[in-house]
Amino acid sequence: MKKKFPEAQLDMTPMIDVVFQLIIFFVVTVDLQSKALETKVRMAMSPHGPIEEQKDPRTVVVDVDKDGDISIMRTRLSEGQLLTILNKARNESGQSTPVVIRGDYAAKHEAIKRVMDICGQAGLWKIRFAALKEKAS
Amino acid sequence: MARARKKVEAPPAELSMTPMIDVVFQLLIYFIVTIKPIDVITNLDVFRPAPDQSAPKDQPPPNLVRIGVYQDGYTVNDVPAKPEELDAALSKMAEIDAGQTIMITVSAFSEHGMLVRALDLCAKNGLKSLSVVSASN
Repeated sequence: MKKKFPEAQLDMTPMIDVVFQLIIFFVVTVDLQSKALETKVRMAMSPHGPIEEQKDPRTVVVDVDKDGDISIMRTRLSEGQLLTILNKARNESGQSTPVVIRGDYAAKHEAIKRVMDICGQAGLWKIRFAALKEKAS
Repeated sequence: MARARKKVEAPPAELSMTPMIDVVFQLLIYFIVTIKPIDVITNLDVFRPAPDQSAPKDQPPPNLVRIGVYQDGYTVNDVPAKPEELDAALSKMAEIDAGQTIMITVSAFSEHGMLVRALDLCAKNGLKSLSVVSASN
């Protein structure tokens, strides 16, 4: 008489659980970092620009879109608000705080000038323009 | 009895690889689909004279190289120039003295992309002392 053992079965449930956990984790966390900076700003190309080696942690990045609207980290700001923020940055980290202006290539210089003037009012003189060195295809 | 028991042996436990491979492929496909190449960003340094400088507006010192950025094109020392001509002029100036100050006057109505292009050409030719002045027209 043969006694039959039940066939060994691999329980799939925990693995599926883990996989779903992973998928949800990645879906939720991916791109949050880049989306914080992602705007509708299409920067001009500058293939010969210097390569950024060390980024100053104090850097303030100001976005200027093609309509001339000013924003920092996707938050729209009025000129007064920008001045307040830059004043605060100067008080906290000094006059050499770098300001990077990420201007849309189609933005009028007038709008960029406004931002530069506000930087001047706040006493910040280290102004740089962000541009694309290489565009990811 | 002992013999009878020995006969009934469980089949060797096998670990099925299929689900693991499935999961690995899922993850692989997920990463391939979601990965996004990152744009390489460069920052172009400029020096901005204080707006309240009491320098004569219409007569900049003659030893400066003046580049004009207007809506419809560039000028080098008030002579209209195409981007290629601007590049050639800048490379000539850089040969003479790479440390000389280039004064870039930007019209308020010109696009920001044109200024970035001019700055890019300066960077290409190794000119680093750049001064950006905004014109009101």
